[in-house]
Amino acid sequence: MILKVNVSFSYGDREVLRDVSFEARRGRLLAIIGPNGAGKSTLLKCIAGILRPRGEVQLDGIDLLTLSPKERARFVSYVPQASVPEFNFTIEEFVEMGTYFTGGSVRDALQKVGFWERRNESVLSLSGGEYQLVLLARALAQGGRVLLLDEPTSHLDINHALMIMELLKELKEEKIVVAVLHDLNLALRYADNLLILKNGEKFWEGSVGRLSPRILEEVYGVKVEFVRGKFGTAVLPSL
Amino acid sequence: MRKLLPILLALSVVVMFLGVYVGSVELSPSDVTDSIVYGIKRALLGESPAEKPKYFLIIWEFRLPRVLLAYLVGLSLASAGVASQALFKNPMADPYIIGISGGASVGAALGLIYFPNHVSLLSFVFALLSVYVVYTVAKVNGRIPVDTLLLSGVAFGFMANAVTSYLVLTLGPKAHLTYMWLMGSFSGADWEKVRNVFLASLFGLTFLIWKWRELNILLLGEEGVALGLDVDMFRKFVVVVIAIMSAVSVASAGIIGFVGLIGPHIARILVGPNHKRLTLSAALIGGILMVSADLVARTIARPTEIPVGIVTAMMGGPFFLYLLRKHKRGEVLT
Repeated sequence: MILKVNVSFSYGDREVLRDVSFEARRGRLLAIIGPNGAGKSTLLKCIAGILRPRGEVQLDGIDLLTLSPKERARFVSYVPQASVPEFNFTIEEFVEMGTYFTGGSVRDALQKVGFWERRNESVLSLSGGEYQLVLLARALAQGGRVLLLDEPTSHLDINHALMIMELLKELKEEKIVVAVLHDLNLALRYADNLLILKNGEKFWEGSVGRLSPRILEEVYGVKVEFVRGKFGTAVLPSL
Repeated sequence: MRKLLPILLALSVVVMFLGVYVGSVELSPSDVTDSIVYGIKRALLGESPAEKPKYFLIIWEFRLPRVLLAYLVGLSLASAGVASQALFKNPMADPYIIGISGGASVGAALGLIYFPNHVSLLSFVFALLSVYVVYTVAKVNGRIPVDTLLLSGVAFGFMANAVTSYLVLTLGPKAHLTYMWLMGSFSGADWEKVRNVFLASLFGLTFLIWKWRELNILLLGEEGVALGLDVDMFRKFVVVVIAIMSAVSVASAGIIGFVGLIGPHIARILVGPNHKRLTLSAALIGGILMVSADLVARTIARPTEIPVGIVTAMMGGPFFLYLLRKHKRGEVLT
């Protein structure tokens, strides 16, 4: 399984993405990082089909950009940035929406995130972290070879954040997983490959092991050092 | 809530029977059933099977079409309400509040005065136009917030109503009759109107029930594309359905507000927001409410009949304010 992307995108006259290209594979979790406004979310939306970019998005030789939303949904699932749920669906009904056009299993997906027993509760009663897990379940129920996640751990406590990242670590063995991450420490710890965006362009791409503090300094304009500890490497900014 | 549909259907039959039974001429229940059975036989066999029942004319030509029309208009408006709420992702949307009924009334008034054969068509065209205008004005960064929706809808509705009133009052040949229509009334009901609204509501309701999955996903907005729905295309279909249902209702019974808001809201309390169950329940509740409102309109100030639009506004206005207050308090509307 391989996803090849090369896209540009403009909102009206404003170019938000310029020739951003990368490859993602099964077994290698790809994290997209970069400053606010770099175009990370836009890039995911282009791949998910929510925005219509110029260029190409190829999955195992299939050109995703030419597919209808219904056909594309069978290949690509997308976890949006969590907002507040607005309608009083039960967890099961909400996750079922992922399967309307693809026919996946709601039960498997809910069991995977540990919500099968709570399936009849309202999504309105969920905390931020729980809602994020349910959004992930909806994408899993949808199925497909590519899983895109837009800041799946933002606003989550460390426990929920780790829970999500551990799930992604499992999932990358069956799917191509691409996640926009804000938390550099989580990115460093869980990602295999990194794509760094800055001002709508690709700034750097490579395996996590090749990332140096100097690269992050250039991207974010902040001095950082890498500290190696028992659980892995942490990024410490210095003022 | 599995028993809800049979209950709603039974309630529908009861209120419709009451609607035919109660009126200025006192009838017995058997008068009603005799006439209806006779009328159906005659319609099916194409001949008069026996002697006409005593009050056949009153029941078959006046009360029954009126009650059926009220039921179908209530059903259409509540369905159009459900569809508007999904389209605008907002439980406060209703064809009346967002100005669609007003727009449709301009078309209907133009039709009544200048093109009597095309009232429904003109009403439809203007309804379509109004959805487009309100949608475009209310949209902020791809979302339709409650405040801009209400403001643009109310402003557009006012404007449209003013135009309609002007047309009706200055140019209408039968100003007082059309004025009654303007306020919403079923007094002009006949079988042709029943047929028109029946066809429109059958089409609209079938579409909305058939597309329950798409309506659910519509509530998620743009991200619905990632779940496999061609959101832009589906929105266009929904707009057309809302326009057809509101237009035919307005063309045959005038502007009747709030039923499109109350019907779906009660249905959401009973069955939740899932369109798999919501649409039909809301539609039936809309029909029941409308027949009841018409019953009140006919009887409360006897022998004078008041426009049913006044009754629904009196029921719906306070309800709307209550919803708005709930919204203001930050309680998420179900």
